[in-house]
Amino acid sequence: MNERLQRMSTSGLLADRKVTQLMGFTTFIFLIFTIFSFNIFFTPENFRSMAYQVPEIAILSIAVMLSMLTGGIDLSIVGISNAAALVAAYIMTEQMSATGEISSLWIIIACLSGILIGLICGVINSILIAILNVTPILATLATMTLFNGIAIGITNGISVSDLPKQFIRVGNGTFFGIPTPFVLMVAIAAFVGFLINRTGLGLKLLLIGTNRKAAQYSVMGDRKVIAWTYILSGFLSSLAGLIIAARTSAASPDFGNSYILLAIVIVVLGGINPLGGFGTVTGVVLATVVLQMVSSGFNALRFSQFFYLAAQGGVLVAVMILNTVLENRRVNKSINKSLES
Amino acid sequence: MVSTKTLNYSVENIVKSFGGAKALSSVSMSVSGGEVHCLAGENGSGKSTLIKIMSGVHAPDSGIIRLVEKEFSSLSPRQAVQEGVQVIFQDFSLLPNLTAAENIALPTYIYENSRYINKKSTMKIAQEALDLIGVDIDITLPVSEISIASKQLIAIARATNLGVKMLFMDEPTTALTRKEINRLFTVINQIRARGVATVFVSHKIDEIQEICNTITVLRNGSVVADGLMKDFSTKQISEAMTGQDVLTTRITPELKSIKQKVVQVSNLSAIPTFSNISFSIAAGEILGVTGLLGSGRTELAEAIFGKYQVDSGEISVDGLKLPLNSSKAALAAGIGYVPPDRLTQGLFLEQSILRNLIAVGIDRYKKGWGLLPRKNLAQVGDRWISDLKIKTKNPANPVTSLSGGNQQRVVLAKWFATNPHLMILNGPTVGVDVGSKREILEIIRDRAQSGMSFLLVSDDIPELIQICHRVIVIKNGKISKEFSESELNESDLYKELN
Amino acid sequence: MNIRKLLRRNETVLIFAIIIFSLVIGSKSPEFFTTANLFDILRSSFVQLLFALGVLIVIISGGIDVSFPIVGIFAGYTAVVMMRKFQLNEESLLIPITLAIIIGAILGGFNAIAIAGFGIPTLIATLGTAGIFRGLMLSFIGASFISDIPVGLDNFSTADLIKFESDAGTLVRLHVLVIPVAVITIAVSLLLNRTIFGRSVYALGGGIEPTRRLGISIKRTQAKIYMLVGGLSGLAGILYVSLQRKANPYDLAGSELDVIAAVVLGGASIMGGYGTVFGTVLGVLFINMMKNNLVLLGVSSSWQRAAVGVLLVLGITIQAISENRKSKRQKTAANKEKE
Repeated sequence: MNERLQRMSTSGLLADRKVTQLMGFTTFIFLIFTIFSFNIFFTPENFRSMAYQVPEIAILSIAVMLSMLTGGIDLSIVGISNAAALVAAYIMTEQMSATGEISSLWIIIACLSGILIGLICGVINSILIAILNVTPILATLATMTLFNGIAIGITNGISVSDLPKQFIRVGNGTFFGIPTPFVLMVAIAAFVGFLINRTGLGLKLLLIGTNRKAAQYSVMGDRKVIAWTYILSGFLSSLAGLIIAARTSAASPDFGNSYILLAIVIVVLGGINPLGGFGTVTGVVLATVVLQMVSSGFNALRFSQFFYLAAQGGVLVAVMILNTVLENRRVNKSINKSLES
Repeated sequence: MVSTKTLNYSVENIVKSFGGAKALSSVSMSVSGGEVHCLAGENGSGKSTLIKIMSGVHAPDSGIIRLVEKEFSSLSPRQAVQEGVQVIFQDFSLLPNLTAAENIALPTYIYENSRYINKKSTMKIAQEALDLIGVDIDITLPVSEISIASKQLIAIARATNLGVKMLFMDEPTTALTRKEINRLFTVINQIRARGVATVFVSHKIDEIQEICNTITVLRNGSVVADGLMKDFSTKQISEAMTGQDVLTTRITPELKSIKQKVVQVSNLSAIPTFSNISFSIAAGEILGVTGLLGSGRTELAEAIFGKYQVDSGEISVDGLKLPLNSSKAALAAGIGYVPPDRLTQGLFLEQSILRNLIAVGIDRYKKGWGLLPRKNLAQVGDRWISDLKIKTKNPANPVTSLSGGNQQRVVLAKWFATNPHLMILNGPTVGVDVGSKREILEIIRDRAQSGMSFLLVSDDIPELIQICHRVIVIKNGKISKEFSESELNESDLYKELN
Repeated sequence: MNIRKLLRRNETVLIFAIIIFSLVIGSKSPEFFTTANLFDILRSSFVQLLFALGVLIVIISGGIDVSFPIVGIFAGYTAVVMMRKFQLNEESLLIPITLAIIIGAILGGFNAIAIAGFGIPTLIATLGTAGIFRGLMLSFIGASFISDIPVGLDNFSTADLIKFESDAGTLVRLHVLVIPVAVITIAVSLLLNRTIFGRSVYALGGGIEPTRRLGISIKRTQAKIYMLVGGLSGLAGILYVSLQRKANPYDLAGSELDVIAAVVLGGASIMGGYGTVFGTVLGVLFINMMKNNLVLLGVSSSWQRAAVGVLLVLGITIQAISENRKSKRQKTAANKEKE
């Protein structure tokens, strides 16, 4: 019964309300930091730096969102993103001349290789979860360890840095004035949003997350859909990894260990129901922006990064509590009738 | 242990509403120790509410609960247990990962506020409880490895162990074979002899006639019949439950003279559940399938839909042989299946009505690039809402906003939308109010008239007689008898079942 | 219990795996079989085992906790800082241990509030609290590395029960912790099997509704679970600080994977309701045996995590296959009953 209550909070009609609330919240946070540290926060440099850092986290969060919509979770996203980044980085540095020049062809090959890694990792997850029926938490915990472990083993824990200039330009350049990674993020978000709202695959995804059994009785190829979900999640994670490598000019096996928590905070704040079936991409992107503003704002206010970490945890717990409390209140009134038989 | 004074448990003038809906209107019922009292009624009659009130889960709006000499205006679950009131639900509330012995003994430890537990005393408590009801089960097994029938007996043992004085059994025979039902009834007679007041909740007339001494019938929240079992005939009980004289209102449509066989099932076997099942269904024909649960009837239905593993046999639809054990193939061949439990198997409760309506065969609605065109879908939704008269103001509302009957229509519409040759319905009117029941049967009739074939699995004999052209009875995994149209009547059907 | 069932049990498979791996490693380098090495494996297992026992309890109850290493280091670090700040007797061993256990239990209490009080799913709740605890610790209690820990704790790290020099000239040491850890292990086992609380933990893992109908208070049981785990983690944390002879607030983070791997390999089901202390002990020993002795096989230590990863993936695959087969078997068994 509690499960149903928790689901109702992000179901169809109420999802739009959530996004509106989130937009309000975003504006609020923006104003707060603008007021309290105008000189540092409200500057084009700051906004630009945020615009470069948001995309990688947003894409990772979208990956988590997909798996959560089906009622599972993908904890291996960071392991995959690092693995993809490392593979691409290796190829690029190997093919790089002494002066740091490299043909565009090799950059493309390197990126495609990274994406291939992402797909392979996604397939491994799919086999465990869709075919062998392992619980997503356990499966992705295991693969996270595996992917991370292989990355550390191969690199001995040392990051690969000094990537080709052409590549770095992608991560730090602009596309018609807008930071390239940001453009990529918008494209990906639009694609995923389109996938969920307008395609058959998206609808099946939501239905499976709502009620797996009913989905099986409705013969929609639930296993295939779940398999594709984790493959897509792997794909997105690899993209995020490439963007990170392009932005930081480095790939390391242990980068972004705290990104898992951040991604989950964002997804939950963005209105995705952890039990599955409901949520929007818009919410996730907005939530990413909010959290990036908080990080940047804390920075401007000279709070330590650890305080930001505590804040992430706090936001996660607070949003979960808020969801449960508000919904218990609202739903109790209206649902009693239909439950009684 | 049997007292000389008969203990009495009763409720008086109980009223209970949920939101705007009245569940119970001035209901009174009285049960004495040493009596097996039947609480009969269709789903939606208020049976569950009454049980929940007497066991302390809900509080009545008004009325009195009398447990022996104490009076209560409402109970807490703990109080109910302390007064000796216990309910055995359909899921038995057993823990699958613990042994049967522990499941039986744990409540005793908890009741006594013990801190520690040891194997020897656990076994002793459990064995004593089983001896009390005269049953022999291997209690060292984890409950997950025990059959459903034995689980039920373990639940009873657990209840009697806590000194139960009033025991509610909610639809206890749903998942039992005839043999197991006999065993259960023996046990019930045992506890009756010990002075326990048993309330046997069921809508299966033949069973309640066998085991119960007294009866109360609820319909739409009110008591419509009450008294000694022997004073009521089958017909009277059935009429009281359904509120109408159903036996004469047969609504089966005329079968077209072109008796073209649409569905042919030959020698379908899934050892040991059923074997060598063969039958055929013509276009527009409604074939009923019945049998006690455990006879294999649900498994047969699911097997034709490819959801239950079969070993051998043939299924063909419109002359084409179907790959076995594949729901995908079944759907593609034009077979649909409405599962018995719409809440967990048929509906996506928190999703919108529209989404539920298009949930099957989503790929059909796709245009280029896998797109689902919104306008078309909305039209599809509107069409089915009007076709099946689903009462809703907005297809975007979650399906939980609908009543049981309307929810069932959504499930039906979802499958009708695939335009199947054969619709398999498993208990389609369970948990649906009486008015909707009738309308759903009419919906089935209308479709049959347009040429859709139906396989109707049900344990509701009156319903089968109302709507089916023929009925086959499954016993122990084999077809025991086929009733043609002229042979269909209630008493013969009941006889064949037993 | 018949032989077939015994053979199918997870613990048996694990024992075989341990034996096989020991033989493989030992055949390549006989140093594996020295007492020194075996004692070393034990020593590196103590802290992990304490964490693992806590995780085991949570997993049996149907939940998962990823905050325990943070709770551990928070408790250990804070205990040391408090001893310095309040100038407590630096020679005492009892004081920092008590402090750490209490701090751990309090942090566990916060987990309890989130999970039992507000019903937040356990993974998300503990992910969140881990962030909160770590963030607050590094922000407010201190982010500096303390290398001169209180004398009592420091001395404890060399408190060996058995100590001698082997013929090969290596130092053979068995730390005195083997006794209290063994006692705690047995205690947890007794708790799980012989107390109503313990059975309530299993009950919770078996189903929430049935447990509630039994009259067991779910919230109270969960609260006790998470506070107990917190206390155990706190103890593990302070012992870690002692054995390492330093209090580094950045330590232990990330070690949850190894511990959870050990518990899962030991046979606990992540769905809840199943798991034994014996299996967990085997799991911890197995993981540590792997990690410590990979070097003997000529594999560099940077492959340790990958090794754990491979084991975990293999382990869950095998468990999943046998689970899938078991449910198919049960279906036919239930059918046979109906005859």
